[in-house]
Amino acid sequence: MNEQPVMVFKDVVKVYPLPSGDVTALDGVCFKVDRGEFISIMGRSGSGKSTLLNLMGCLDTPTSGDIYISGTRTGDMSDKELTELRRDRIGFIFQYFNLFPLLNIIENVTFPMMLKSQKAVDPEKARAALRSVQLDDSLFTHTPMEVSGGQQQRVAIARALINDPDILLLDEPTGNLDSKTGAGIMELMSELNRRGTTIIMVTHDLNIAAYSKRTIRIADGRIVE
Amino acid sequence: MIFWEIAKRNIRIHLLRSTLAMLGIVIGVIAIASMGILGNSLVLTVSDSLKTVGDSVIVTPHVGGGTMRGFSGGMGGPSSLSITEQNFEQIKRASAPNVAIPVLQTSDRMKLGVGSDEIVAAIYGLNPEDVPDLLKLKEGGYSRGNSGVLVGSTFAKDNNVKVGSRIAIGTEGDKGTLRVTGIIEERGMAFDISTDSAIVVTKDWYDQAYNRDDYDKVVVKVKNLDDLPTVKSAIENQLNKRDKIVDVVDTRKTMETIFSAFGQITTFVSAIGGISMVVAGVSILNIMMMSVTERIKEIGIMRSIGAQRKEVMSMFIYEALILGVVGSLIGGIMSLLGGYAISSVMLQTTKYLFAPSSMIHIIYGMSFGIVISLICGIYPAWRAANLNPIDALRHE
Repeated sequence: MNEQPVMVFKDVVKVYPLPSGDVTALDGVCFKVDRGEFISIMGRSGSGKSTLLNLMGCLDTPTSGDIYISGTRTGDMSDKELTELRRDRIGFIFQYFNLFPLLNIIENVTFPMMLKSQKAVDPEKARAALRSVQLDDSLFTHTPMEVSGGQQQRVAIARALINDPDILLLDEPTGNLDSKTGAGIMELMSELNRRGTTIIMVTHDLNIAAYSKRTIRIADGRIVE
Repeated sequence: MIFWEIAKRNIRIHLLRSTLAMLGIVIGVIAIASMGILGNSLVLTVSDSLKTVGDSVIVTPHVGGGTMRGFSGGMGGPSSLSITEQNFEQIKRASAPNVAIPVLQTSDRMKLGVGSDEIVAAIYGLNPEDVPDLLKLKEGGYSRGNSGVLVGSTFAKDNNVKVGSRIAIGTEGDKGTLRVTGIIEERGMAFDISTDSAIVVTKDWYDQAYNRDDYDKVVVKVKNLDDLPTVKSAIENQLNKRDKIVDVVDTRKTMETIFSAFGQITTFVSAIGGISMVVAGVSILNIMMMSVTERIKEIGIMRSIGAQRKEVMSMFIYEALILGVVGSLIGGIMSLLGGYAISSVMLQTTKYLFAPSSMIHIIYGMSFGIVISLICGIYPAWRAANLNPIDALRHE
């Protein structure tokens, strides 16, 4: 079956105009991501990893080149459409979990559902998502600050999955966890990938990158292998 | 809605800060509403006092014109300016078919019973047939002969005068003694004649006692209020053709001018109250800016997982709205207490506190509080909504 790639980068260039002179963060980046892949993006600090992640997550737009997400060219989209794309097709998992401290765990997970449906939602789906990331029911009504870092990251994963996105974008997902908890999170990511979730992960940790099936290395804004 | 919930929780979590911002709105609403209530109570008090409503045209001798009678230089003497019988006839013709009532007025000493002290009070002289057109009695009847006198309600109360009492007019009663036939209903401060603390005698008795053959003023009672300006013009055209000899006042117009002036005073004092509301608005703006700055990262997360700009904006608008509505509600309730206190102290009455025209000032104050809160919440909300998600996410 010849399935459409979930993400395509075609000659993507990103230049940051600075008073001291333009800085080229990405220089003619081309790659594609097929459905069900588990890719890690590696590179040294300043290589362009974060810029690449921001472009993949539609948080930024390229200076030139084209980006397609599930066949849709993002360059022609308005801010509203890009926001909807992030909400419906992309799940974000951050290094520092980035949960909302004013909301409890269930509310954190239902938040993207509410953004999508624009009305009150059935929390049962959120409960199921939290159980699928092995979070105990007794923690559901706690606030993020009342649970451990590993548990917060599991909540963040459940939140990222709640709207059934095409791609999960991970930014150093274990960077703020101890190695044992980090390994647990990566086992969970592998399991999600085995179930069909496409995962793109930015990391500088080789042990963590080892969980992926393909690695894209980036240096000076270019893909090197 | 989740953004409403977040706004509520953010206010709750920063309760002290939010309370202080609300306090500003509370004070602003109290200032505007209390000042408005005070001003309106003042207008109602004056309007109650000016009970002779605007249905008359008052004609008085023009200062610098009219028939000069010379300064009398003593109590009981005639006024320095007066309206002649001829002038009165002209007024009567000009104002027909409305009733023109000639009025004489002075003040003199009088004694109420044997052994009592002499007092000084105002005396009005009116034709007996004109009295029912001008005055209503609460007790007794109208004077039929020259020996009868009507007394004002305050005069009767203060001097313990009843129907049948006798009043000796003049020093040692040299002008004569009159019997009280009736007590006049309270009229308040009036444009035509203020009888509450005065007595009303017949014109004939007055002419005889004070040697007068002219008048101090003429009151024209206009039946159709729309005719007031026409009657005023007719009198002016008739009498002031060559020289200005009389001043003609349309009482309705005068009342309108007085109420307009009071309205302006009320607006002015409310505007002073409004300044405190503007200060409160700046305080709201300040805490909303703080709220945005503290939550930049949260805004970045929201935007990255799919919150639209307008949704982020709504969260901060809700916060400002809650502060404004709660502050305005508390301020509105406390305005009643403030209005009660100010009215009690300054006007010695609170009977106008719940008048609709007083209550509207509470609505004004509350509306202004909510609008100011919203306006001051818009810029921080707009700023939050337009943050670059990448910069916001990186914010520590």
